[in-house]
Amino acid sequence: MKFRVLLLISPSLVFFLTWSSISWAQAPREEIENTAQHLATLLNVGRLIVQRNQALINDPRIGNKGFTPEVFEQQVLDEFIRETHIDLKHDSSQLPSLAKELLPVLLESSKEVVADAQLVINQRGIGYKNFVPATFGSQAARKFSNRSYVKIKQTTLNPRNLKNTPDAYEENLLKRLATKPAIDTSITEWIDNGTTLRAVTPIYYSQDCLVCHGDPKGILDISGYPREGAKEGELAGAISIRIPVNKR
Amino acid sequence: MIVGKSGICIRSIMRMLQHCPKEYGSQGIVPFLIALGIFLQGCGLVFDAVEWVHPLARHELSAICSKGQVRVGISVEPFRPFVFPAVYTDEGVRVTGLDVELIREVADALTTYCGGQTPIVPTLHLTRFHDLFLEMIEGKLDMFVSSNGGNIPGARPAGLWYSIPYFHNDGIGAIIQNPEVAERVRAQFRKQAGNPDTLAAIQAGLSGLTVAAQKGTTSSLYAEANLLNVRLLICDSLPASVETKDPHIDVILSKHSILDYVTNHVWPDWHLLTRNDGAPLLLTQENFSVVTVEENRRLQWFLNNLLYRLDETGRLERMRRRWLEEDYAPTRRAATEGLPFEVSKVPDHYDQGQCRFAAGR
Repeated sequence: MKFRVLLLISPSLVFFLTWSSISWAQAPREEIENTAQHLATLLNVGRLIVQRNQALINDPRIGNKGFTPEVFEQQVLDEFIRETHIDLKHDSSQLPSLAKELLPVLLESSKEVVADAQLVINQRGIGYKNFVPATFGSQAARKFSNRSYVKIKQTTLNPRNLKNTPDAYEENLLKRLATKPAIDTSITEWIDNGTTLRAVTPIYYSQDCLVCHGDPKGILDISGYPREGAKEGELAGAISIRIPVNKR
Repeated sequence: MIVGKSGICIRSIMRMLQHCPKEYGSQGIVPFLIALGIFLQGCGLVFDAVEWVHPLARHELSAICSKGQVRVGISVEPFRPFVFPAVYTDEGVRVTGLDVELIREVADALTTYCGGQTPIVPTLHLTRFHDLFLEMIEGKLDMFVSSNGGNIPGARPAGLWYSIPYFHNDGIGAIIQNPEVAERVRAQFRKQAGNPDTLAAIQAGLSGLTVAAQKGTTSSLYAEANLLNVRLLICDSLPASVETKDPHIDVILSKHSILDYVTNHVWPDWHLLTRNDGAPLLLTQENFSVVTVEENRRLQWFLNNLLYRLDETGRLERMRRRWLEEDYAPTRRAATEGLPFEVSKVPDHYDQGQCRFAAGR
């Protein structure tokens, strides 16, 4: 009798243990994927805030622009709420614990970039200062990556800054994205036997970007780089994130 | 060394003892020389002897080598194309320009001098132009490079030394907006009928006009000394003089090469004052030098020898053409070859300042 009971219980136990072990393995994966999405959103929001303040930053008539790290932070937090309905400052309970740990680091890195640029931003009599979404994003990503085991990078197929050159994985993905309609989510994939997440979030050209990246193709823009001849809505590049599971 | 400097001399020896106790102590030479110095009334001989016995005593070049950095001052006011306004790049805040390229050359040469194992990093101190001299004398800088000539009377504060030129045959030029001002000067040249006297033509042509020059620069020294019949405005920077509307400025003086660049690239409403045949009009001749303090004898020789070599190899001429004649975007050059600087050293809330009438005018 006991043996029969055991026979009945054993498959159930095996099924339960297998199912639960899968759940335990998947929970951190979802958390990591979710975190990657939030990191990309936050970096993109920072870029957007810099873009929105571009006219102010490049105004040669004003010295102190008042675009301080604190002002930047508030605008980023407001925009982040608008896009995600998550209040990073006061109520981040909806975020996974990994995101709670990493998003403040990225926000602080972004504020530091704005702080470092104050001298340039507040120069009176100087118009274009090259403090643009791309240069902001490069530095914010680098500062964040230097103080975290998570690596963030801006990349594109024809980078102006060679440090943004895509690796083989990114290049392959960017080529595919360039031929497809715009998407507003990250493409995620687990590589290295499931030990590392790669998340690529595409960025598309808006009208504001085309001043430097639009037509006429090949003619130098204000920063001295040849315009790409891009059109609104085309793929500009991507935010590439790499999160290893085991280096937390 | 002379007898009167024995106090300085003994301090120097004590300093050398402090830095090189092993070398001197082991050889027993220094105690002997100091004892000798007490008996000799002039200890300069002792100092020279110690230097002769041990030429590698700590000096400004070995200090640069041991620190791995050279502190270079550069003007925070833009002197395009010698130094452009700081811009933001993918690498952070950077400055670029001909002066910055020269600083890189100096740093590279210092790296070689120091053995080549560790690169000598140029630490840029962006400072208001007139403060560069003070910071140099106070020992906060090893040198400064700021399109600055030492061959203009009054341009060399005591205690500073000027290298052989890294930029030849520049001089003070003038820019105007109103063509009538140019005509006034040209009329004076015509009167001279083949016997040109630039100073006389300028003095008469600009008489009664409002002339602006940047504080502390050779152009303000020139104006104060030679243009006695003008209303002279002293401005904190060149952009400040361009921006000032009240009082109305008729003429702005600055380095000719700088004015040539800014009228072509930055302020197209302003035009260079030229001779009647269209040739460049230079009010005086000026050569730009690297500046350090009088005591830095080894650094002085190092700089002079380096600049001489850069000149004879054509490097200085290539630099000149690259920044003055080529078509380029400074922002892009800043991104690829610009140098970082210590943001904390930059004056707070830098802006280009204002203009005011010169005292006594």
